[in-house]
Amino acid sequence: MIRLIAEVLDKQVVDANGDNAGRVDGMILEVRDGAPPRVVAIEVSPITFLARFSRRLAMWYAKRDARLGHGRGTPYRIPWESIQRSKLSVVIDRAADDTPINALEDWLRANIVDRLPGSGS
Amino acid sequence: MNKALQIALGIVTSVGGFLEIGSITTAAQAGAAFGYQLVWSIVLGTLCIAFLVEMSGRFSACSRHTIPDAMRERFGAVAFSIPLIVMLAVSLLVLGAEMGGVAAALELATSVKLPIWAVPVAVVSWGLLWKMTFSTIENGVSGLGLVTLVFAVGAVKAKPDYSSLLDGVLPTMPHSSPAHYWFVAVSVLGASVSPYLYYFYSSGAIEEKWDTSYLAMNRAVAAIGMSFGGLLSVAVLVLAAVLLHPTGQDIKDYHDLTKLVTPVLGRPGFWLLVASLGIACLGATLEISLSLAYLVAQGFGWKWGEDLEPSDDARFSLTYTLLIIAAGLFVLFGVDPLALTQISMALTAASLPVGVLPFLILMNDKHYLGEHTNGHIGNAVVLLISLMAMILAVVSVPLELIGGGG
Repeated sequence: MIRLIAEVLDKQVVDANGDNAGRVDGMILEVRDGAPPRVVAIEVSPITFLARFSRRLAMWYAKRDARLGHGRGTPYRIPWESIQRSKLSVVIDRAADDTPINALEDWLRANIVDRLPGSGS
Repeated sequence: MNKALQIALGIVTSVGGFLEIGSITTAAQAGAAFGYQLVWSIVLGTLCIAFLVEMSGRFSACSRHTIPDAMRERFGAVAFSIPLIVMLAVSLLVLGAEMGGVAAALELATSVKLPIWAVPVAVVSWGLLWKMTFSTIENGVSGLGLVTLVFAVGAVKAKPDYSSLLDGVLPTMPHSSPAHYWFVAVSVLGASVSPYLYYFYSSGAIEEKWDTSYLAMNRAVAAIGMSFGGLLSVAVLVLAAVLLHPTGQDIKDYHDLTKLVTPVLGRPGFWLLVASLGIACLGATLEISLSLAYLVAQGFGWKWGEDLEPSDDARFSLTYTLLIIAAGLFVLFGVDPLALTQISMALTAASLPVGVLPFLILMNDKHYLGEHTNGHIGNAVVLLISLMAMILAVVSVPLELIGGGG
């Protein structure tokens, strides 16, 4: 048994390299005829995060995010089979740098931080 | 490092890092306006922050979580956003006041006007955070912060009336100007119980990889370090009570702070005071910036750590960068650091329960602390003092504004 809200939602996500990779912003449940609902994925995305405050705000953000390229503009999903739960966090089977989770981090690093002196790049 | 040495270092860090613009100016204003009568507000505030610091160290040592991390996880994104926003807003003002304090010290030392110092202060603070590790910042700044012991030396040399001083430990009703009395009491409480301090402490415990073997050390450091820190605040109050109160002088702006030590220690006293103000405020500037960056990064699950290179935690590093720029604008536009301090300390007091209540819920949760959850005394002390601070703030701040400080 898992208590989804208590044990999964908002937990720290850690990637395959052991680095922090955002938080579980949402969960996707599949509702099936004649069978209990099933968790199919978690979402790690500012769009999902914002939607918990206001759908409108989330849609506004998603529209702008969609301009940034292929696969953007919708929340990033990780299939339930690809995650493992530990006491402290939810561990995913991929590196955050290969996903949109770190898109802002990467952009800020490349465009601002690494252009400042002493950034250690 | 052996435990005794660690305890000693922890205490030195707490004492050297205790004073900042808030505790210095509010204690001085309390002493100038009401003599020894408001010593109790420092005692209560120090008691509360000692309990909070002990709790936050225990929380992180036992759960391996920082406070913001656990708050987001336990209460969810929407509920977490309330303390996040309140804390960011209030602490940004406090940060502005601290940076103003550094600039004020530089102005006192050089006679070059305060706003000119905005950019140098911001650049130096940012540069230290950008390049230094957590322990260098904590130990370095707090070590230098021991110069604030000059207040204790000054207070003893000022020959206070110790029996009146002890009388002040117990709360009493004001003899005169009640609105101002309660307002100053609230400012002192807000200055002592700074939320950034225990958030900072919890992240520090994670950065230094504490586990349950640190609990005894944590308790000793919180109790002894904060008590000695509180005594430094009392020393500032004593100086103002002896030197300013009898002649009815007040601390109206930061130039008046020089009246505190100079009369008893002469010219060296002046320089020690300027150094104390500058170093204490610089230390607080670094701690607040880091603390808020921790808060945001942990709340959103970003990579964070003061020991990483900025390139490895870009969002974390840019968060404190932006905060320093934003708070530096207060200095640049010449906002009086003392006025900003008063407003931000009153707001800190008014908003204390917003951060403290969810923290207390966590501290009583076996899921995080196992057998190390809070006792009744800790819960009661922190709850009562923070609620009292809020109620006093909500009542006294409007009265102070109407009364114009009368």
